[in-house]
Amino acid sequence: MEQRASPIAISSPEHKCREMRRGLVDALPVMAGFIPFALVLGAQATQKGFSALQVLLLTGLNFGGGSEFAAVALWTSPPHVLLIVAITFLVNSRHLLMGAVLAPFLRHLPKRKVLPALFFMCDESWAMGLADARQRAQAGKRHAFSLRYYFGVSLGLYLTWIAFTTIGAIAGPLIGDIETWGFHMAFPAVFLVLLRGMWKGLRAACPWLVSLTVAAATYLVAAGAWYVATGALSGLAAAYALAGIRT
Amino acid sequence: MMHASTLLTIVLMATVTYLTRALGYLVLRNRSLSERAVTVMEAAPGCVLISVIAPYFVSERPTDLVALAATLLAATRLPMLPTVIIGVAVSGLLQHITG
Repeated sequence: MEQRASPIAISSPEHKCREMRRGLVDALPVMAGFIPFALVLGAQATQKGFSALQVLLLTGLNFGGGSEFAAVALWTSPPHVLLIVAITFLVNSRHLLMGAVLAPFLRHLPKRKVLPALFFMCDESWAMGLADARQRAQAGKRHAFSLRYYFGVSLGLYLTWIAFTTIGAIAGPLIGDIETWGFHMAFPAVFLVLLRGMWKGLRAACPWLVSLTVAAATYLVAAGAWYVATGALSGLAAAYALAGIRT
Repeated sequence: MMHASTLLTIVLMATVTYLTRALGYLVLRNRSLSERAVTVMEAAPGCVLISVIAPYFVSERPTDLVALAATLLAATRLPMLPTVIIGVAVSGLLQHITG
């Protein structure tokens, strides 16, 4: 058993509960924003042959929307395992940076608490946890990062995501063949909105244009899903080169 | 019955995703990244997403190209759901009009 009376464990049960509720309430608008994405992902996954259970498994274990949309877009039967796993890594590689940014705020917490908490780190929970920690630090609080607040946010986002992707998967088959109704356009629509959210000006988007051009060219000349790999890697190379020119 | 490769892909995806979440904290917490590395990492998700939808930009169907242009315009100023509805509606309508 671990020693309970640690000098920094000042929080009472009510305090912990209050912190979690504070996170959950702050997360409500983001949860509402997740719903359409989740429904579309679930519906699109069933078009690729996923069952509702598989969608629940995918979103519940992976919990990373961008990579899930990419995986479903590239899904074939049977799937290209390595390609999809590589793409998942590329889409989620930003987590490496996010974790590094968050690390200084987590020094007061033991690894056994941080590592499970990091499972729930998505763009939104990261941003909200960080913003909250910065505010509390400015207010003069020691141990500014509130793990309970972060868990409140995460719980709301996670449950919303897995519940509504599953609902989307259950409702998806009712729509029927997507191509005749134009539903296949939902894919680029979702991705373009995601890209808009990442927009940081024209210069930062130059690598995207390189990716688009190389990927489209590869798609026209080569069979299979290689266009994703060539497009993504050429964009990264362009980003690397551009960063060298600027500095 | 779940296909073995489907389950394998899902489990591997989940593993890789968790590693990206944990490794940034574990490996990079005591180091500072070069500005160049940060720039490349920030560009990575966008490069992947645009590559995935690249085939739509060179579609053989003119109706899809028009629908894509409308979707692109919508995406620059509207939230997610209206953008999807516009993309789907324009594409569906054009397909029915042109038969």
